[in-house]
Amino acid sequence: MIRDITIGQYYPGESWVHKLDPRLKIIVTLVFIVALFLVKDFVGYIVAVAALGIVIGVSKVPLRFMLRGLKAIFIIIIFTFVLNMFMTGGTEMIRLGPIAITYEGLYRAFFMGLRLVLLIIGSSLLTLTTKPVKLTDGMESLLGPFKAIGLPAHELAMMMTIALRFIPTLLEETDKIMKAQMARGADFESGSVFRRAKNMIPILVPLFVSAFRIAQDLAMAMEARCYRGGEGRTKLHELKFKKRDLAAALLTCLFLALIIQEQNIMAALMPTLASLASNLAGAL
Amino acid sequence: MEYNKDYHTISGSRLKFSKKPSKVRFAAHAAMIAAVYVAVTYLIAPLGFGPVQARVAEALTVLPYFTPAAVPGLFVGCLISNMISPYGLVDLICGSLATLIAAICSYGLRRWKWLVPLPPIIVNALIIGPMLAYLTGEHGMFWWFVLSVGIGQVGSCYGLGCLVIITLEKYDWIFE
Amino acid sequence: MSIVVKDLVHTYGAGTPYESLALDKVNMEVADGEFAGLIGHTGSGKSTLVQHLNGILKPDSGQIFIGDVDITAKGVKLTEIRRKIGLLFQYPEYQLFEETVYKDVAFGPLNLGISEEEAEQRVRDALSTVGLDFGKFAERSPFELSGGQKRKAAIAGVIAMKPEVLILDEPTAGLDPKSQADIFDMMARIRAEERIILILISHNMGDVARVCDKVFVMENGRIVLEGPPSEVFSQGELLKSKGLGLPPAAEMIHMMRESGAELPETPLTVDAAVDIIDEYLLKKHDRSLAH
Repeated sequence: MIRDITIGQYYPGESWVHKLDPRLKIIVTLVFIVALFLVKDFVGYIVAVAALGIVIGVSKVPLRFMLRGLKAIFIIIIFTFVLNMFMTGGTEMIRLGPIAITYEGLYRAFFMGLRLVLLIIGSSLLTLTTKPVKLTDGMESLLGPFKAIGLPAHELAMMMTIALRFIPTLLEETDKIMKAQMARGADFESGSVFRRAKNMIPILVPLFVSAFRIAQDLAMAMEARCYRGGEGRTKLHELKFKKRDLAAALLTCLFLALIIQEQNIMAALMPTLASLASNLAGAL
Repeated sequence: MEYNKDYHTISGSRLKFSKKPSKVRFAAHAAMIAAVYVAVTYLIAPLGFGPVQARVAEALTVLPYFTPAAVPGLFVGCLISNMISPYGLVDLICGSLATLIAAICSYGLRRWKWLVPLPPIIVNALIIGPMLAYLTGEHGMFWWFVLSVGIGQVGSCYGLGCLVIITLEKYDWIFE
Repeated sequence: MSIVVKDLVHTYGAGTPYESLALDKVNMEVADGEFAGLIGHTGSGKSTLVQHLNGILKPDSGQIFIGDVDITAKGVKLTEIRRKIGLLFQYPEYQLFEETVYKDVAFGPLNLGISEEEAEQRVRDALSTVGLDFGKFAERSPFELSGGQKRKAAIAGVIAMKPEVLILDEPTAGLDPKSQADIFDMMARIRAEERIILILISHNMGDVARVCDKVFVMENGRIVLEGPPSEVFSQGELLKSKGLGLPPAAEMIHMMRESGAELPETPLTVDAAVDIIDEYLLKKHDRSLAH
């Protein structure tokens, strides 16, 4: 049956970015996010935007998919803008009674907003270029070391894998159940909040019944095949680092260094840039 | 469908099946709860993200009242939800941890039915609130975020959550 | 009241990398009181088409007229539509959710705003139509019933809404032979008693041949063949090329034709087939057969 719903954000492709090891991608994305919070002035943001732009270009994912995530948090972006604009102290630009917009506020608002936008696009990039299954594999691997502090990484990964496998099934079930109840007159789209909540019952009950029936069958099937849990299990596709992962890692380190040391670098480059600028001005 | 919990001992043979509660069944239950959480998040569209968090899936945070499998189940469900959403990594870490802690607390409170929806409200307010405040820049509105997240949660966790408890109670054989 | 579908187009996943055309300019007409059969390979769009008829799916373009009302126009109240069009999905057991069969069957009518007293009458009628004894089943939990009983309870839930059009999506799928026969009898009974429009989606060609007035064949989102069963099922080759079978009787005659026998008519029932073969043998061997 044709399904109307595809889960996840994955955009199929064969780019370099698509082929990177998921563990590396998760770490790189984390580094990018941390770096965003380490940026001290607008030059840093230029570096970040440039870096992000390069990766987007290499991934060959159309820009409009990147921007979808922004639609979702549109409200927060507005909030960020507004709050920073009005709540930052400094030299006033306009005064509206008790509240004022300051130059610093405007500057702040713009950059906090930009930071948020870059953060979302960076995260989107991860989900757009990595299949959900690969993401879970990556997470399982990364959580592995935490076994020492009692985190049952393998069991969690197993649950993740099973859940992923059954999400499409349950989505279909939920869809079917919703449609069947709609055909019987249940209304989910209009009416008071209370009414809509009550109409969740005809969906939740059958959904749970289905889900747990599937779980029982699954458990039986797994036990029948002697599944015993985590120790010593192997995978069909083991994650392996390749040369391009090393290259990506190095580039990320370079990026991070640039961001952290940005102000020092700028200070060192200033004289050269200044003379370049004046030469250009003289030539024109 | 009946699930036979008691295995037979075949007398005279060397084969003896154990009677211990099945780890596999626990894992399967947890995985299904995770899958239901993600399905609900995606199909019954969330009413928004951000300062007013009111997602229908939050009503499922009362599930620990019915089964301990809901604790890892909700955690994994939240992990996956965040993995495949565009909000991404930050919410993945904070949001999922918040869900886990809340689920553990809810399970601990399971003897007092009407207290079960409380942990998600408090934990989310105290973790997601600061996260949002930090993300949007330092502007001193910290407590405002905490408060608004908390209020948003009350509707879904308490309101819908209690509805879920009342409804599923009649069908508690599902969780056997 | 008739149903007219004009140039219906529906795309799944528009704008995503998984876009696919489900309905490609579908045109269909079902007259008042007709029993229409809808057949086609899996994925041909039958369920999709039928879900447009009561507004559950919205088309990208095209129109659907239920009676005089164009339900694709803006501002049409969908509850009114669903009052008139009853849709039974495949494997409808999963729509059962109430604590008792009575409450579940009453769910539909009560949603339509019908009073409790009238709802009770409808539940009684519906349960008797599907063959479930009220006394025995009304107070039981739907989850305790057998597969066939659950199916019947689900059907009762839709019938109780007293729709003017009843659409059944593979109502006999997955059932044991006795239950299948029960459901078929029920359809024939409704047909005779109610004179409502019935639309049956089925892979059971025998059923379709026996009970439908008109058959529509779908392939890849389009209706490629339509007409009375006798016409449609005489096109054995065409149907097979579309991945469909024939009613058992027609299949037999079709096979005989392929081996060279000249049989002009296509039967829809086994009895008719027997008659045709009788005549043929009579002509061919010029021998009288004992009747």
